[in-house]
Amino acid sequence: MNNQPLIRLKAITKRFKGVIANDAVDFDLYPGEVHTLLGENGAGKSTLMHILSGLVQPDSGSIEIRGESVNIRSPYDSLRHGIGMVYQHFALVPNLTVIENIILGFEEGLILNRKRTESVLKQIFKEFELSLPLDEKISNLSVGERQRVEIAKALFHRSDVLILDEPTSVLTPIESEELFNTVFSMRRMGKAVVFITHKLKETIGISDRISILKLGKKVAEMSGEDLRQVGEEEGYRRIFDVMFDNTQLPKDTTTIKRSSEEMPILELDQVVCLGNFGEMRLKKLSLKLNKGEIFGIAGVDGNGQKELAEILAGQRKVVSGRLILDGNDITHEEGAGTRTDLGISYITDDRMQEGCALSMSVAENSILRLFKRPPFSRRKIMNKANINRHAEALIREFDIKVSGPDVDVGTLSGGNIQKILLARELSLHPKVLVCNKPTQGLDAKTTRYVKDRLQQESVRGTAVLFISSDLDELLSCSDRIGVLYDGELLDIVNRCDANRENIGKLMLGIRQ
Amino acid sequence: MLFEEALFVTVLASTLRGSMPMLLAALGETYAESAGILNLGIEGMMVAGAFASFLVGLQTNMVPLGFLGAAIIGAVLGGIIGFLVIGLRLNQIVVGLGMTVFTSAFCNLLHRIIFGSQFPMLWGAGMTTEIPVLSKIPIIGQPLFNQHWLVYVTLALVPVLYFLLYRTSLGLRIRAVGETPWAADASGVNVYGIRYLTIILAGVLASTGGAFLAIGDLAFFIPDMVKGRGYIAIVVVMLGRWNPIKVFLGSLLFGFALSLTSALQVAGLKVSPDFILTMPYLVVILTLIIIAKSTSLPAALCVPYKRGE
Ligand SMILES: Nc1ncnc2c1ncn2[C@@H]1O[C@H](COP(=O)(O)OP(=O)(O)OP(=O)(O)O)[C@@H](O)[C@H]1O
Ligand SMILES: [Mg+2]
Repeated sequence: MNNQPLIRLKAITKRFKGVIANDAVDFDLYPGEVHTLLGENGAGKSTLMHILSGLVQPDSGSIEIRGESVNIRSPYDSLRHGIGMVYQHFALVPNLTVIENIILGFEEGLILNRKRTESVLKQIFKEFELSLPLDEKISNLSVGERQRVEIAKALFHRSDVLILDEPTSVLTPIESEELFNTVFSMRRMGKAVVFITHKLKETIGISDRISILKLGKKVAEMSGEDLRQVGEEEGYRRIFDVMFDNTQLPKDTTTIKRSSEEMPILELDQVVCLGNFGEMRLKKLSLKLNKGEIFGIAGVDGNGQKELAEILAGQRKVVSGRLILDGNDITHEEGAGTRTDLGISYITDDRMQEGCALSMSVAENSILRLFKRPPFSRRKIMNKANINRHAEALIREFDIKVSGPDVDVGTLSGGNIQKILLARELSLHPKVLVCNKPTQGLDAKTTRYVKDRLQQESVRGTAVLFISSDLDELLSCSDRIGVLYDGELLDIVNRCDANRENIGKLMLGIRQ
Repeated sequence: MLFEEALFVTVLASTLRGSMPMLLAALGETYAESAGILNLGIEGMMVAGAFASFLVGLQTNMVPLGFLGAAIIGAVLGGIIGFLVIGLRLNQIVVGLGMTVFTSAFCNLLHRIIFGSQFPMLWGAGMTTEIPVLSKIPIIGQPLFNQHWLVYVTLALVPVLYFLLYRTSLGLRIRAVGETPWAADASGVNVYGIRYLTIILAGVLASTGGAFLAIGDLAFFIPDMVKGRGYIAIVVVMLGRWNPIKVFLGSLLFGFALSLTSALQVAGLKVSPDFILTMPYLVVILTLIIIAKSTSLPAALCVPYKRGE
């Protein structure tokens, strides 16, 4: 390997109010390597990369690019040094088109020259096997596509360095594979890739080097090759050792056996609903959820999962059919607040837009939709002390990395924002819990914890509708799995009969 | 027949002339709002522009210098608003309204100090420029091609500003900044620079609009002559959905309402003049009712930006 690093971060330190996000971190990046950054939620991974991309200014430390000391004062500087970043929460303008987003900031000349841009992009798409609808607005794209737009943007800038901040936590397994292919072709071309993830399997699979952050400090650097040689189990153990201070791998505890008597609590009867463009998304879907079960919904993204969750949460109209909760027809009792009051909680997969009010405090977010209830308010007057106590309890319970309940949610790390959302909805002990990709962006320990909590909720009698595109996750904790394909429930498989093959086939629409 | 033709000509000419102050202000506002700044100081900027143009014109006895003076004052006021809402990140609504209240009162005061209760005329102001051949076209020739030079400039500005906003890199950056400033910043766009640019442009155009009122259309200054045209401009911008061409059409609508007011008065209709005078504002309310439901504002309108927050 080349012995001159492309990028060298030296003793980078960054403090925010009340937290030290990076504490004298050294980080090298060589051409033609994939350098993975691991660490718990809030360990400082995004912050370190934001410093490299110019979005955050370090308090101290220095940056060298190709051996020369540089001063990165803004994203502009960073981009001109050939550094491209795919942000954890995409830096795209939703109501501009794909092509407009790609050229933004890198337009040549005053008058936009579409033809030239298009031919450059065609070349890049061919080189990296990408494809994108150039004239579609970003808001109409799936998350996977949005991510490809960001990657295309970095490639369009001819970046030598690509930083990917948790790219796979929003991708389906198939999309992840495609992403890895792009990453590998970049590596072949001598570009360098920084990869942030919480998934250990892919870490070992694709990394040349691995750095682990813990509470802002860099605590270890490992070689990917070494880990691959010692085998997966041992590799995981080594990583866990440093990340969480214990050698014990969290065990799958999904062996709790529950009584199998069926007590339907929620029933969907021939439900039809429409998508954002008036197209039919759920086609006469019928489903019975039993008390105390975890019902997994498998399926390739975009087959009606989002719509299913939203009609239950009261955020989307049911065109025909009925929703029955505990024997009562609730089809027309719409609105998120109403449904929460009825006992249906919803953990959305879109924490930034729908899940949290980013400019409000942790305390306020912990009681969204609950603020009318005692003890949080009496006679329309909020009780701040009670709200703060509640928030503090959740912070402790979910180990949320935040200096206090008054901090704005928008400043938290991605995983910690997700924890707030989970903490709030789980604290309600609802009758029905609808969760869409609840573990996205969470570190391994917290993922384990959340799955345990879902188990506990179900033991307590809650019916959990667990939507995910991660098959392994579904197989490990669902009692039954329904496969959603093109707005229909193709089949429902009991846990004992479910395996990767038969569910995988159903996901592609192949009925046995 | 002759009377009808005369009425038509008058209404056409005065629609065009009457819509100019709003159009100029609204074009500037289109840019500011597209970049995320709601400029409620627009009304005050128009008043300041009207007064400055009149004062400078009177002092130097050169009308064009009056327009220049107005433009400079507009740029300064735009810069001040910019500093307050971009630099200090103060609330745009408070700053804008404050600017309007302050400049209106200040111009009023200054006018009183300088002129007492007199309203002198500025000789040479309000002159039209006849375009050779075209103004000879029957009927429409005079109303369309015998107008003040600023009318021609403003009309030419409409397609230029449209092109700039929707077909150039600058326009793309402006729209990105108004929608998702942090994404624009992360793409290497200078968010603060773009916002300063648009608010200063908005100031220049609003003040020039005010100047047109005082020394383009008329030839004197009265402190309350702007009469809510700035606020109407804001409505026009929403009506036109941040598209300079549609903003132009919207301005014409209000110009028409204004000119009908005078035409009806001239025609001696037996309606209360007070009612006739409320017409333009009725149009405002009606349009607001119609568009209110379907307007999607630039997402970052009124939201200050600070990197890393
Ligand atoms: N703008 C900010 N203001 C205040 N605190 C911040 C800000 N940005 C980050 N932090 C804090 O810095 C710490 C590190 O955050 P960072 O986003 O780097 O974590 P991360 O490792 O990316 O975590 P995750 O895996 O959850 O994305 C967190 O405690 C976070 O709350
Ligand atoms: Mg992060």
